[in-house]
Amino acid sequence: MKLRRLIGFNLLTAVILGVIGFYVGWWLGSLFTSESVAYLKESNQHDISLFIGYFTGVLGFLVGLGFANYPVQRMLGKPASLREKETQGKTRYLGLCTDHKVVGLQYLIGIGAFIFIGGLNAMLIRYELITPNQHAWNGNNYLTLVGLHGTMMMGMMTSGILGPFANYLVPIMIGARRMAFPRIEALTFWLLMAAGAILMTAIAFGGFPTGWTGYAPLIDQANMGVDAYIAFFAIVGLSMCLLGLNMVATVITMRAPGMTWGRLPIFVWGQFSTAILMLLAPPVLISTLLMVMLDRTAQTGFFNDQIGGSSYLYENLFWFFGHPEVYILALPGMGILLEILPVFTRKPLWGYKLAVSGLMGIALLSWLVWQHHLFMSGINADLRPFYMLSTELISLPTGFIFICALGTLWAGRIRLTSPMLFCLAWLFNFLIGGLSGVFLSDVPSDVTTHGSFFSMAHFHYTIMGALLFSFFGGIYFWLPKMTGIKLNERLAKAHFWVMFISFNCTFGPLLVIGFLGMPRRAVTYAGYLQGANTWVSVSAFFLGGSMLIFIFNFVWSLVFVREPAGDNPWNSKSIEWQLPSPVPVHNFDRIPTFGPDPYPYGNVGSDAVPSMPAVTPARPTQ
Amino acid sequence: MTELAHHSTDYSVVESESPDVMGRNLRVGAHLWSSATAFFFVAFLFTYFYLRSLNNHGLWRPKGVNAPVTLGTLIAVAVALSAIMTFAAARKLRAGDRSAFRSLGVVALALGLAAVVLQIVVFATVGFGPTDGAYASVFLAWSGFYMVFVVGTMYWLEVLLATSFRYRGHGAAARPAPGEASGDAHRMGDDIASPISLQSPGADAFAFTWGVLAGIGVITWIILYLI
Repeated sequence: MKLRRLIGFNLLTAVILGVIGFYVGWWLGSLFTSESVAYLKESNQHDISLFIGYFTGVLGFLVGLGFANYPVQRMLGKPASLREKETQGKTRYLGLCTDHKVVGLQYLIGIGAFIFIGGLNAMLIRYELITPNQHAWNGNNYLTLVGLHGTMMMGMMTSGILGPFANYLVPIMIGARRMAFPRIEALTFWLLMAAGAILMTAIAFGGFPTGWTGYAPLIDQANMGVDAYIAFFAIVGLSMCLLGLNMVATVITMRAPGMTWGRLPIFVWGQFSTAILMLLAPPVLISTLLMVMLDRTAQTGFFNDQIGGSSYLYENLFWFFGHPEVYILALPGMGILLEILPVFTRKPLWGYKLAVSGLMGIALLSWLVWQHHLFMSGINADLRPFYMLSTELISLPTGFIFICALGTLWAGRIRLTSPMLFCLAWLFNFLIGGLSGVFLSDVPSDVTTHGSFFSMAHFHYTIMGALLFSFFGGIYFWLPKMTGIKLNERLAKAHFWVMFISFNCTFGPLLVIGFLGMPRRAVTYAGYLQGANTWVSVSAFFLGGSMLIFIFNFVWSLVFVREPAGDNPWNSKSIEWQLPSPVPVHNFDRIPTFGPDPYPYGNVGSDAVPSMPAVTPARPTQ
Repeated sequence: MTELAHHSTDYSVVESESPDVMGRNLRVGAHLWSSATAFFFVAFLFTYFYLRSLNNHGLWRPKGVNAPVTLGTLIAVAVALSAIMTFAAARKLRAGDRSAFRSLGVVALALGLAAVVLQIVVFATVGFGPTDGAYASVFLAWSGFYMVFVVGTMYWLEVLLATSFRYRGHGAAARPAPGEASGDAHRMGDDIASPISLQSPGADAFAFTWGVLAGIGVITWIILYLI
């Protein structure tokens, strides 16, 4: 039995088959570069071997996990089944499992690990920038570190909230027992892990100098390390697209009786609006990266100006995906913010409809702004005013979110718990990020700040300051529900304060440094900027250290102390908190019927449970 | 504290789910997948016109770079006919005529696969290669990736047909053997109680998806072969 478990469809088998698949693919690719294909032989294109190796490696990995079993059975006409491996003990966390709660926790650990690696890269970058002269890494290694950090963070964090939190919570919040497509849900996670492993191999092939944006013509010309970037982002794109599809389908079709659109928790709206973007934006990225792949292997000329292509085409296609991507990162955090605030102010969410229109408005407008990334890249001058205005217009729906958050805080009975602190920090950080963004959306000021540390600091304020803070807010808020174990609140607050202060000490001065003219992605800088840079580096190390507090708290609380959290430690009125902690595998004994008010908190001064429960059990569906 | 769920509740008791839910999921999923597919090819559409606008003065299609219009037309016709057959097959299934669904479905599958074979013939006989300029790049990549989508969609059709053939001797209330679907005879609750009940929504979802993809195929033909 033990042997069967060992060689069955599990993570170990997956890794072995993945490695074998990679080498088989590499060998197959070498056949293409034989004498029979003259121009490939002349160009010494081992990229073909590498791409086929990545493809067959991922295929082997998925086969090893058991993802091929079901499609093969269906080809033979066997009947459909919705679930796999949901009651197999702790091993279900290490393989294909269709329980949305298991997938959520898999995401939390998997993405957390890659964020940690991406964070370590940031520490290495800041170590180099302590002094103005090159001292730790040569230029190529430095750029590879920058590229790995950016790509890892942007790629992984796109699913940073939808992966763990939405997968776990959305079905529960809408009164469902599962996601619409449970196998696809599991597939999205394992694709992401395979992609992460591929990105790490870039180091073995010489790294890549393109940063996370991979601009052409550099991406066409760079060494084989950039193939890892291409494969990584294409696979992440596929994972994102499928995750978005699954989430949208789930919200549309799986809602319980009474859960009308107007009663959806705001968290679900946040994930829903994000999922629409995740469904539609990544296919463009995948197409673009496939074109790059063909440029690098079959010698097509999409981005090669010498044979009729255009490097500027790449920039357009990339940002057509890239700017919705920014909101893919921002929107889910807004959902978390607005979901948590009512709990710790003991008030209903202020301006529910305004918040929903803000979330959907941002999602819509995010398609109309991508050219602001190209103000300095030769854009037709007549187009600049439109993209400047459309970019500034997006501050309106974003303002709705702020208004709703502030309205909820107003006259509330605020409890400064650790999730609440992270939410309040979100408001502060995103405000700075938004205000600095105005300088980048205006053409005249963008001319002086584009490509500098100013723009780098801006997007760290919006993405790290908002997304990562809401991510941690979400962890401290919902982890007791997910695990049934309480995290140490004192350590959580220590984590918050060190992270918040060091974050602002890191990126606040970077706004100034950028304004003074320090460019991004440069390993050396002017001597007069050393003092500020050293300050930033030391702050960054404290920021990294704050993550160690979190990890210590996580391990200490979950492994050693294991203090039961209870079913509803925050005294929340949301449905997930009316379930046992952790939530049973079937979520609900019976599908619930929802009442009219998603946020039934009393008026100021009242902390009582409303007289009518928000959720009442109903008859099971047949 | 809660009356909504208990850890002690028997797993098998809570799992029954109406087949309607999965049918609805399939339909919605098909619409969403089709929109993602459209966005995938929008990138090629944009690329085509962008590069065409840059490559004037005869650079767009240099001498010798000519798409084989006859073969291209045959591909478009095969794809369009296959999609029409699929719509007809789904309609027959809704009317309860499973035999006609299978017949029309097999024809649709054959036409879809014929399109793939014809595309391979195009690649083998076309008189230019990927290095022959922007049009050649767009032509080979766009039509190649389109065929990848066609192959994937034909897999879906094969699954529908295989299920229909497997249960062709059964009535509408056919049920899988215990454990046949999930691999666990003790967890039957979440297996689809009647595989036949999923056939019609599955065929509808497929017909929509294939219809959209065929539409993209016709647009591809117009752009790559005609204009």
